[in-house]
Amino acid sequence: MPRRFQVTVDGHTYEVEVSELTDTRSPDAAVVKAAPAAESMARPAATETQASASGGTVAAPLPGVALEVKVAVGDRVSRGDVLVILEAMKMENEIAAPTAGVVRTVHVVPGASVGSGDPLVTLG
Amino acid sequence: MADNDKIQELAHREARIRAMGGPDRVARQHQLGKWTARERLDALLDAGTFQELGAHVVARVGEPAPADGVVTGVGRVAGRPVYVYAQDFTVVGGSLGEMHAQKIQAMQDLALKAGCPMIGLNDSGGARIQEGVDALSGYGAIFRRNTHASGVIPQITVIMGPSAGGAVYSPALTDLVVMVRGTAQMFITGPQVISAVTGEQVTAEELGGADAQLTKSGVAHFAADDDRAALALTRELLARFPANNVEDPPRRPVRPPAAVDLNGLVPNDPNKPYDVRRVIAGLVDDDSFLECQAGYADNVVVGWAYLDGQPIAVIANQPRVLAGTLDIDASDKLARFVRLSDAFNFPLLTLVDTPGYLPGTAQEYGGIIRHGAKVLYAYAEATVPKVTVILRKAYGGAYLAMCSRSLGADLAVAWPSAEIAVMGPEPAANIIYRRELEAAADPTASRRAKVAEYRERFANPYVAAARGYVDAVVEPAETRDALVRMLSALLSKREVRPSKKHGNVPL
Repeated sequence: MPRRFQVTVDGHTYEVEVSELTDTRSPDAAVVKAAPAAESMARPAATETQASASGGTVAAPLPGVALEVKVAVGDRVSRGDVLVILEAMKMENEIAAPTAGVVRTVHVVPGASVGSGDPLVTLG
Repeated sequence: MADNDKIQELAHREARIRAMGGPDRVARQHQLGKWTARERLDALLDAGTFQELGAHVVARVGEPAPADGVVTGVGRVAGRPVYVYAQDFTVVGGSLGEMHAQKIQAMQDLALKAGCPMIGLNDSGGARIQEGVDALSGYGAIFRRNTHASGVIPQITVIMGPSAGGAVYSPALTDLVVMVRGTAQMFITGPQVISAVTGEQVTAEELGGADAQLTKSGVAHFAADDDRAALALTRELLARFPANNVEDPPRRPVRPPAAVDLNGLVPNDPNKPYDVRRVIAGLVDDDSFLECQAGYADNVVVGWAYLDGQPIAVIANQPRVLAGTLDIDASDKLARFVRLSDAFNFPLLTLVDTPGYLPGTAQEYGGIIRHGAKVLYAYAEATVPKVTVILRKAYGGAYLAMCSRSLGADLAVAWPSAEIAVMGPEPAANIIYRRELEAAADPTASRRAKVAEYRERFANPYVAAARGYVDAVVEPAETRDALVRMLSALLSKREVRPSKKHGNVPL
């Protein structure tokens, strides 16, 4: 029986359903279904930072450190929504979603170093 | 009545030529979402101004085809004459044979002699194979004329259908390429050949469509949703450009800029991005900025605008894309734009906020040295009035490249937020204070103090201003007025270079 929780991440509040797994599937399988609790949640202004997307994976356009991860698995994002703040070349680069989609995998945690072309977030 | 018969014969011949490929092929063209060559010319040119030339030309081989698949002539845009050719896909697939090519060449010769822009509307299946090397030679002679006219008259190509193989090189030699989404495709080798040779599977639109050639390759400068939009954009470009390199671009009525709080726009924290297009909007006449190659190498923003009614070319680093660094693609985009704008007498306004050239093996092996050198070459070569505004970061080689005073800016202005130095505070502090930092009891705190000290002492506009590398430190909100005063006093500028065959731009 799934149980419901309210979770707040970076000031964004989500309602989350959690089911206990009986097998040992990978934890990032999409069993966590999150939807923003408030549809009117202010979206960051659209940004133009180029992020190369191949097969739905948004890659780092330049090497740096993932300063903030703005999305979680299951989040629905629109084109231009900020996914990750990547500190590189002494700039807090806003890495935006190239297309609308649902976050399938988040490949980085805050503080992680990434190389150019490394995957940041996979959208489905 | 013999005379009447002759007039009737002319009317009969003209009717056949105007019918193009016939109702079925015209209907097919419309089904594809494409206009015919004549409909396109109607949309491009001022009403009633088109004078067709060479309508009766036919090929030496095969059945005579109306206008030999290309409508050529002269008309007016915004009241000024332009020479045009429009390939007609409904007639022998718009294919280019010897005479088809000669019709285009005749327009190129007239445009260059008269000092008028040359516009091509391309929609062609390629070389007319049955004409063999004569067709091939036709392309070569067009390329040669494109090159000779380069920098003398504006040349714009609108791709409105297929453009493959040799047909791509005339557009590539012209100043600006506009492509129509969905119907225009450019490539050297098509999807079938690529599949056979490399095994890569790609559709024609993915390979050479408007968005691919705009955002991936930088071959196209503009993409439009349909024929109507592409031709409206071409009219707008022609209205902004001079007819040739000895005329000035036409002024427009003065409009105040958009309401932008320039004083509050650039974040004090140098690590925070912002959209430099807001700065442009706050400086130039309202809604006058026409961005060129938007979507390609967006770490640099280029386009034309009006400043107090005076046409200008704007070049700006974009801090929110790739941190505003200069990379290979941005260097190419910037340098080509500066050379085009200089050729046609647009004064250059450069807005600087860049941490430097993009580091990395891909950039170094890709030749960032020679590509980056194009930026320096283009700015130093340009003889138009050049005014530079340093908004924030201006470090090292990239500071010099972005039209610094040393490189040839006539005037350089800095905002109080400017940081002009040989490198950023952190690496600089590491080098200058290396011994002290090594000896320090608390290296982290000591390092932080030294970085702050360096920032205080060097990362500001006043060191450069004290040496005269910056002519004025100006409050952002006052910058437009300052630029209007400076630029209006530079329009009569003359700068003479030694005569030479041509320079050797680092390609």
